[in-house]
Amino acid sequence: MALSTHTTSSGYLLPSIHSAPPFFTQQPNSSTQAVVTEHWTRIILGYARHRRLFFLRIEDAEVAGGDWDEVFRNERINRRLLPDHLQTILASMAGKSQAVYEPPKQTRAVLLYWRRPEEWAEVLHTWVSSTGHMNTIMTFYEITDPPVESPLSGIPEVLLRKAIAILAKTGRAQMIGAADGDGVRFFASGGK
Amino acid sequence: MHRLGGVGLAAFERHEQSKRSFAELSNELSQSQVDHLHSQLNQFRTALARFASSHRETIKNDPTFRHAFQQMCSSIGVDPLAGPRKGGWWAELLGIGDWQYELGVQIVDVCVSTRERNGGVIEMAELVRLVTKLRGVSAGTITEDDVVRSIKTLHPLGAGYQVVEVGGIKMVRSVVKELDEDQAIVLALAQESGGRIVEDTLVDRKGWTQERAHAALDNMLLRDGLCWLDEQDKQHDRVYWVTSAMQWEA
Repeated sequence: MALSTHTTSSGYLLPSIHSAPPFFTQQPNSSTQAVVTEHWTRIILGYARHRRLFFLRIEDAEVAGGDWDEVFRNERINRRLLPDHLQTILASMAGKSQAVYEPPKQTRAVLLYWRRPEEWAEVLHTWVSSTGHMNTIMTFYEITDPPVESPLSGIPEVLLRKAIAILAKTGRAQMIGAADGDGVRFFASGGK
Repeated sequence: MHRLGGVGLAAFERHEQSKRSFAELSNELSQSQVDHLHSQLNQFRTALARFASSHRETIKNDPTFRHAFQQMCSSIGVDPLAGPRKGGWWAELLGIGDWQYELGVQIVDVCVSTRERNGGVIEMAELVRLVTKLRGVSAGTITEDDVVRSIKTLHPLGAGYQVVEVGGIKMVRSVVKELDEDQAIVLALAQESGGRIVEDTLVDRKGWTQERAHAALDNMLLRDGLCWLDEQDKQHDRVYWVTSAMQWEA
């Protein structure tokens, strides 16, 4: 019985370890569990990037029918990732800055960093520059829901704010408070 | 009576003279013998060099030929790898030393990179498959025999690489850890079922007590990291999977 890779219906290639029955059980040996956690982390971040998913909740492993079924359930071998196991994995990811608890001060939902906020900041700045929006004031809505799909389409506001804050530190962006929602202005380079 | 040497001082002189002549002769003889040996060795060396240069590629690429060559070497009592430094002139001549060390490095590479999932024990066939994959198609095939030989060359490094035989199947162990008898039996049984093993199998087939089976599996799980636990099996609460006996495709 060879363990093989599997392509999900959404086109994501799962590694062969995903077909191994014990991969779905939390391992009592801590160094073995570290290996398991590492593989799960890679699968979760890869899948999130593949489907542009930003949030992951413990419920996603509890009830079927969510975005994560393809990954957390393997019907071919009748195994699924249990909520407690997922919680351990999320704790490890949060510890390694591969995700943050969002909202903070709870441990049942995370914002996934398949791109780190620093990388998002660069993506954002490049996009603003290539679409000719430098020096103009943009609303968050214009960034998260542009008429032409962009690398930033659908980015959660909390992540967008983090990215803008990083750009603001180097003088490449400025937050502008307004009554009907916040806006932001971008600059080509720092030093203004 | 006429003695050859005669008597007196002159005879003593003559005696000394003949002694010297004998010594000279013996020197000459042994010198010629050494020369003879030298020329023979030279001849041998040239012949080997010619053999090596004309068959070098075949030695490297053809596992059967390589095996025959190594058998020939060991039957005349020479080790193609032996030598004072850097594998000696045998190795230099044949390039076999480099080849063998290179293979050794690749074996270490495979063993280390798969260690996290198999706990440091890998099946020989799997190792050969992965090393072959690592070397690429053009490098020619390698055999178990080559792997065993290369593992021997790793011995001075003290990394504890060892070939162990478990239930008729050769496994390569890359961690300094003794496999006890019970573990060897577990490994052998797990081989038959793609890595899956439960306590009952050991009780039914080997007549072990439940406690012994539990202890053996628990040690492999918790102490050695040789197997993984599966708690979602339909028939058994705890199923153990010996990772080195599982067939991984990629």
